[in-house]
Amino acid sequence: MHVRLSKMKEGERGVVIDIQGGAGARQRLLGLGITPGTVIRVIKSSPPGPVIIGVGPSKVALGRGIADKIIVRRES
Amino acid sequence: MEKVVALAGNPNVGKTTIFNALTGLRQHVGNWPGVTVEKKEGIMKYKNRKFRVVDLPGTYSLTARSIDELIARNFILEGNADIIVDVVDSSCLMRNLYLTMEILEMGVKNVIIALNKIDLAKKKGITIDFKKVEKALGIPVVPMNAKEGIGIDDLKETIVAMADGKITTNPVIPIYDELIEREISHISKILKGTPLAEKYNVRWLSIKLLTRDEEVIKLVLKHLGQEKMDEIMKHISELEQHYKRSLDMVIASQKYEFIDSLIHQFVTYPTERKETIGDQLDKILIHPVYGMISLFGVFYLLFKFVFTVGTPMQEALDSLFASLGDLVGGYITSETLRGLVVDGIIGGVGAVLSFFPLVFLLFVAISFLEDIGYMARAAVVMERIMRKFNLPGKSFIPMVMAFGCNVPAVMAVRALDDERDRILTMLVNPLVPCSARMVVVTFLAGAFFESHQALVAVGIYAISFGLALISALILGKFVIKGEGSPFVIELPDYLIPSWKTIIIHSWERSKEFLKKAGTIILAGAVAIWYLSNYPEPVGSGLSYAERLGKFFEPLTRLMGQDWKAAVSLIFGIIAKENVIATYGVIYGVGESEEALAVLMRQAMAPLQAFVLALVTTLYIPCIATIAAIRSEGGMKWAVIASLYDLVLATVVGILVYHLGLFILG
Ligand SMILES: Nc1nc2c(ncn2[C@@H]2O[C@H](COP(=O)(O)OP(=O)(O)O)[C@@H](O)[C@H]2O)c(=O)[nH]1
Repeated sequence: MHVRLSKMKEGERGVVIDIQGGAGARQRLLGLGITPGTVIRVIKSSPPGPVIIGVGPSKVALGRGIADKIIVRRES
Repeated sequence: MEKVVALAGNPNVGKTTIFNALTGLRQHVGNWPGVTVEKKEGIMKYKNRKFRVVDLPGTYSLTARSIDELIARNFILEGNADIIVDVVDSSCLMRNLYLTMEILEMGVKNVIIALNKIDLAKKKGITIDFKKVEKALGIPVVPMNAKEGIGIDDLKETIVAMADGKITTNPVIPIYDELIEREISHISKILKGTPLAEKYNVRWLSIKLLTRDEEVIKLVLKHLGQEKMDEIMKHISELEQHYKRSLDMVIASQKYEFIDSLIHQFVTYPTERKETIGDQLDKILIHPVYGMISLFGVFYLLFKFVFTVGTPMQEALDSLFASLGDLVGGYITSETLRGLVVDGIIGGVGAVLSFFPLVFLLFVAISFLEDIGYMARAAVVMERIMRKFNLPGKSFIPMVMAFGCNVPAVMAVRALDDERDRILTMLVNPLVPCSARMVVVTFLAGAFFESHQALVAVGIYAISFGLALISALILGKFVIKGEGSPFVIELPDYLIPSWKTIIIHSWERSKEFLKKAGTIILAGAVAIWYLSNYPEPVGSGLSYAERLGKFFEPLTRLMGQDWKAAVSLIFGIIAKENVIATYGVIYGVGESEEALAVLMRQAMAPLQAFVLALVTTLYIPCIATIAAIRSEGGMKWAVIASLYDLVLATVVGILVYHLGLFILG
């Protein structure tokens, strides 16, 4: 099932499928290791605040706007 | 000429620590030409050899999308570095090696990996076979724990060996899937015939074309012409259709896969990730409610620390300059010269210099919070509020620092990720009232509103801070357009910071403040002294200052102020507390605040005093702040900020005065 990262709940995991939107924002994510195929886990998500995700050993905070553009395949 | 060593690496990997260890205190902080990005340079001396070390901006990749990345990339691309030291955080290899691959892909061979934070990697249960890393990457690798100074000598040794040509490298570069590789060689073939091939690595150019890199497209277009370019772009579009996404994503994914396969040759990870104390802390510190509460607590403590320790120092310096003035004054017989030296130079520069302890301590406190890993959390908590005003969450740091002093606050905009965000934050920063303005506000509030002193003071602060946010909203919409950077920030591990790094860092920053005091502020102090003493001293009604005041009086009249306000405000440009001091001089009561309060109460109504306090808070930033804006963003923004604040103060002053008259009948 594909969802936007901004809609995922705390504790959920998933694989990034696509990143929509402008090249500027996308390339920032690519540098941080968030690309199609990356496994992520949602550490904190409390709208309208940023989403905190775990990518490998690091934690990244993403604004709602950009989290909306990341499409994830949810894993249980 | 000394050879140039460039330090590259992700943010927060220990680049500054290594830079300090290599150069000691032989360093110089400035800006990269024309932008608000900090440039640090220093000299490394080792075994009678000298190298120039340049600290490149910390970045995650080398795209053309951010100025920081472009600066780092162009420096390498133009061959300005004889040796590149790529600092890598060994506890986060995957992401760090991405930048390494971006560098190696440019075709450079003179790269050394400083594999830093090996202590952290070990603590996290990551084991690394250093010999195998070297083999896998094809370049020298120096394991380090920069915080403890481990590996620094090895690194210096390796730099010297490479400079002497004693090391041959064979850097690995990422290999992509068949389709991408085929396209790379196709484009490479076209580029090989052009002059571009002599200067740049064609494989790198081809890969960047595939990702539609704006700078590379412009560059190649110049040499190939539109027709051949269209041909290439058509191919790229076809590939994008095949992958159903832009190729920057495809290439990045494959690059990470490549890195993953490399890493498995030399690293073993622990099987399970344990929950750390940091994770526990984050539950509180980035929580929407508890996070906000802890943020207020942290910054309350920060200011408490800075003012408790700094204010006595400031007062001591103040009286030191006063006695220095008296002492020096005793030796000068010429009245004019004495005025220049004692009141102009020692008084003017002293007034600004006495703020040095506050500035230094603010930097110490902020660096501490940064290095411990807290600042990123504070930015997360503030993001949703700041974003409403077109500002990124991180810009809250300079906004808070400004309550202490605007000069370090303006310098702190460097920590923001985006040029637009930096300029915007810098422009509205002077509207956040600093501690010097607190002197004026509390004096006037005390003299005119005794029982409501605190309320009035807080009111003025609130109006001013509110105007800063509203200005950001308006300027961000109409003047400095652009969406601003999307909020993306890494939350680093919590770390015990190294005091040495913090002190050096704070000293480097506050040193710039001292330099300004020695140059532009000195010039300003002399100019103001001249205006107030020629052709006759202030009080005679004939000085240039008073004439200027009378010239501006029609304007200040609109705010209910006479020429005295105009003169005082002019002098306040040096340092805002001067506004009150000038009234003292004009009324001939010197430093006696009691006497001044009595006289001022006779001359103006509370409403006028309120407007004076408000206008003092808002109008033109002090000269030190203007100088800071100029050195961060250039003359243009210094002028714009000054004019904007001047107009804003005038408009608000007039409005509030007339609104007050209306309400009070
Ligand atoms: N544990 C550990 N911490 C380090 C090491 N090197 C640097 N640090 C810390 O990492 C943080 C970031 O270092 P800094 O030099 O400011 O990194 P920069 O942002 O890359 O310039 C600071 O708190 C340093 O004290 C290291 O080898 N081991």
